Amino acid sequence: MPEAAPNTEKLDEHLRVVVQALHAAVKQGIPHVKEPEIVDKAVADCKELLDEIMKGEVKEWLN
Amino acid sequence: MFTDKIELADFDKMEPEYKELLGHVLTIQADCEIGGPHLYVEKMLPAAPTKLDQLIVARTAAEEIDHFRKIARVAGDIGVDVSFVLSQPNEKRFVDAFRGVIDTWEDNAVFGFLIDRVGRYQLEEFFDCSYLPLQRILPDIVMEELGHIEYGFNKTVELIQSGDEGKAKAQKAVDFWYVRALDMFGRAGSKRSERYRYWGLKRRTNEQARQDYQTEVNPILKKIGLTVPDPLKGRRYL
Repeated sequence: MPEAAPNTEKLDEHLRVVVQALHAAVKQGIPHVKEPEIVDKAVADCKELLDEIMKGEVKEWLN
Repeated sequence: MFTDKIELADFDKMEPEYKELLGHVLTIQADCEIGGPHLYVEKMLPAAPTKLDQLIVARTAAEEIDHFRKIARVAGDIGVDVSFVLSQPNEKRFVDAFRGVIDTWEDNAVFGFLIDRVGRYQLEEFFDCSYLPLQRILPDIVMEELGHIEYGFNKTVELIQSGDEGKAKAQKAVDFWYVRALDMFGRAGSKRSERYRYWGLKRRTNEQARQDYQTEVNPILKKIGLTVPDPLKGRRYL
């Protein structure tokens, strides 16, 4: 068996959780696209999660 | 030609060239998966025309991040750490199409329509490939890419149908992305491409895949009333 790269498992788990949270936020918003309070909150939640991923601070995520 | 199928447990027995090529192609694929959200999230999430479109931009990004995760896992398991691409500046992306920022809705639409379609072609290269852990993650990824392509296509058609101004914007975006899409297949006659095929990691030559893409896309462009751009104008990889 090859030796896995460091943090393979941890990174996989972290991203899995973020992706699940993103899908949950999207699902929260889609049925309420005409209700600003709900949909704006859903979009803001997505933005917060995506901003974190876009920063790409992997070491911070894994600590 | 290498025709065996390889599991993770067999990887250590493989020749260095196979290991190097597999690691390389997984790194590029991971870079392309995360490169998409890095192009459009910043400007398109706030600027999408409707709340529903904003949520679909977020869902598309979520799916691409998940594709990255799956590819990164396959790479990580063979000892190849691709996590550096998560923080790689756009200008250092492996593929030209991902070096920049999408800041108009028409570019976002056409990106889905044309560039995600190249993504589908790249993934289809691995269908029935020699490395089974890679083959296994493909069906779900390709299914989601089909959704991105369809969404991009529908938004492009909406633009065209909105009137002359929308059609001109769509054409301009197509002119920009079409040549980048063709370049994504790489140089014709690439030696590396031949080695990928030898090891059963890819099915077609770069040129075959590019021609298949053009055969698919050109009639669609004509059908929706757009002009097929000159396939050589502005190309970097011939």
